[in-house]
Amino acid sequence: MAIAKMTKFTLITFSKYRVRLLRELQHFKYVHFLDLTQNKILKNLDLKSISLPESINALEENMKKTEFAIKVLEEVQERESVFQKLKKGPEGYDLEEIEEQARSVPFDEIYEEISTLVRTREHFEQECQKLSEKIMQLTPWLSLNIPFKILCSLKQCTVLLGMIPKKLKENFTDDLSQTALTYFHIVNEDHEHVYVIVVSHHSKNGKVLDILARCGFTTVRFSIEHEPEKEVHDLKKKAEKYRKRIHEMEKRLKEMSAYLKDLKLLYEYFALLKVRHEASEKFLTTDHFHIIEGYVPEKFSGKFQKAVKKILGKEFYLHMKEADTDDPDVPVLLENRKFTAAFESITEMYAMPKYSELDPTPLLTIFYFVFFGMMVADLGYGLFLFITTFLVLKYLNLSEKQKRFIHFFHYLSYSVMLWGLIYGSFLGGIIPLPAVIHATEEYHSLLLLSVALGVIHIFFALGIKAYNHLKNRQYFAAVFDVGFWYLVLSGGIIFIISLFVTVSETLRSTGLYAMIIGAAGILLTGGRENKTFGGKIAGGLYSLYGISGYIGDFVSYTRLMALCLSSAFLASAINMIIDMLLNLGWFGVFPAIIVFVIGSAFNLFLSMLSSYVHTLRLTYVEFFGKFYEGGGKAFRPFINEPKYIRYK
Amino acid sequence: MNIAEIFSNYGGITFGALGAALAVLMSGIGSSRGLGIVGEAASALMIDEPEKFGRSLVLQLIPGSQGLYGFVIGLLAMLQLSPAMELSHGLYVFMSCLPIAFVGWKSAIFQSKVCAAGITLLAKNEPQVTKAIIFAVMVETYALLAFVISLILLNTVQF
Repeated sequence: MAIAKMTKFTLITFSKYRVRLLRELQHFKYVHFLDLTQNKILKNLDLKSISLPESINALEENMKKTEFAIKVLEEVQERESVFQKLKKGPEGYDLEEIEEQARSVPFDEIYEEISTLVRTREHFEQECQKLSEKIMQLTPWLSLNIPFKILCSLKQCTVLLGMIPKKLKENFTDDLSQTALTYFHIVNEDHEHVYVIVVSHHSKNGKVLDILARCGFTTVRFSIEHEPEKEVHDLKKKAEKYRKRIHEMEKRLKEMSAYLKDLKLLYEYFALLKVRHEASEKFLTTDHFHIIEGYVPEKFSGKFQKAVKKILGKEFYLHMKEADTDDPDVPVLLENRKFTAAFESITEMYAMPKYSELDPTPLLTIFYFVFFGMMVADLGYGLFLFITTFLVLKYLNLSEKQKRFIHFFHYLSYSVMLWGLIYGSFLGGIIPLPAVIHATEEYHSLLLLSVALGVIHIFFALGIKAYNHLKNRQYFAAVFDVGFWYLVLSGGIIFIISLFVTVSETLRSTGLYAMIIGAAGILLTGGRENKTFGGKIAGGLYSLYGISGYIGDFVSYTRLMALCLSSAFLASAINMIIDMLLNLGWFGVFPAIIVFVIGSAFNLFLSMLSSYVHTLRLTYVEFFGKFYEGGGKAFRPFINEPKYIRYK
Repeated sequence: MNIAEIFSNYGGITFGALGAALAVLMSGIGSSRGLGIVGEAASALMIDEPEKFGRSLVLQLIPGSQGLYGFVIGLLAMLQLSPAMELSHGLYVFMSCLPIAFVGWKSAIFQSKVCAAGITLLAKNEPQVTKAIIFAVMVETYALLAFVISLILLNTVQF
């Protein structure tokens, strides 16, 4: 229940086995390869590294192509509702199945066909767009019943087609009707323009153009032969034909979506191959041999040996030994029981522990559980959280990661309900419940409780620090850095309490003396690592100054109270509005329901989010700050996270 | 009636109402400004990646809470208002409303800047967006403290 023990292995074997060995190890999954190209000693022996940039690039290219094809096919495929999709989840395969099925997929043909279809579809769509633009231009001229061929063939006259702004229409008609040898006709009008045709004898051209320029005339030119109506009809027919083609192509794409499953498998297959290639770049090689180093979890080392033997027979050298605790390269794999495992993400988000360190997950779990519940603290919200997470876990097919996330909140819902009972709060007091502490009235007890929990949290963290020192046989450090602080803090707390509450004189003076002894101890030992006498004193003073940090830490726990109050008062404000609405009579009922649902949903979201984050802060700053270093490397199994499917 | 009389007769309710109004309006201004800043950043993201709507909405909503705190304080202050209240009572309510009025106003805007930066993070490295949310919610601490102090002030002294 902590960090998994690792075994380091060194494997030397013939290079001809590489591909098969990697395949077998990928099936075995729990191998973490060490990057030997960084190893200077081996590098100096003139060993070469394996470099496969071309095949990796080719794989990446193929992955991109597959992704594209999948995206195209998913777009034309009939959509499932989100719920259905979640309920079904990705399909499960084991690696054998993926390899077997992926190899039989005629990828190049499928990709070729899909990309051609998409390209031609795009082409036709653009054509359709062009056609509809042409139709738009012609539409105002539909009532012009003359083939354009004839208009262009007039020898004595100039024909002009165009539009003028509507407000200049009168100028236009007046001026032109007074011009001799000129004919004009208003073909169409919309709310901005007037569409006109002007026919005039060549001799009048100058005058006509003058008038037209004054009227803001814009010439329209068409390269067509027939009358507009016929042209539009033809264009529409053409567009119809194109649309049919597009439809056919879409139908074909829809038929091809039968390949979707194959393509998804193929994508995962490429991804698996890529992981293998990338791993082989970490090996070193001579002309005939590969040198491979890495780590396997101790409990799987037998299986690992078996897998190696299966492929290599007797042609290998394998050396395995327990990983060195101080080796900074050992990867870290967290191993926890189901309940604690749900909280691993919190440790991971901060930093993986070092291999030599303690896994802090089980230590933070119980506090996280208590603090989160204390901040949300409502029976109704807790029940809601409990039921939804329960249903999600029961009915939806989720990935391991998602499951863990939901489990996390499922466990937290117990704490929320429990604290809701303690505070007697149900949806902000809609149903009155008996309470142990009335959160909204007894601020003082709530404040004290918060700080008291903080004291326990911090004392516990200091305890872990002491444990770490003891484990490393630094007995003095355990006394100096933790023991003295225990004295100062507990003595100080007793003394401060004695100022407000009457306690027995012995207790009071014990507290005072404990505090003084502790402080003196810190002053004398806090700077012990410094060389000079002055440095020792200054270091001691500085360490003692750390007391202000502890005061800050304790005060920080008041957020437990603050968040609890804010969510309780927001809820009661919602209830207040509902009361006002219900007092209006029957027509207030519906708005009241809406206010209740939206308000509660928002408050739940807000208080859960804040509680999540503020508990994180208490864990990271106040708790981890005392003892946790982190900085280990995460163990990466020799397999990738699948994108479209699930591994069985 | 001279000024002093007007002041002592109507000052109580005036100041009390002023407090309630300030709590709601200043934190409301802050929150809406904050939501606006994040919303602008988020809409730009929607151009290319509309599927990130859900997570950007979470980021946008974060500065919304200050307005809510102000609203609750306003509501609670309102419950204490009555035409006959003493000037001292009214002034006390007014003062009680100030923490959330000011802190709610400014902290929502500061927080929204963290959120807008978080939108950039969401665009470039989606899996890390939880961290952006954590950074943003940290700013909220002080709005929360102001809220709780306003709340306690409103409820401690009985007139």
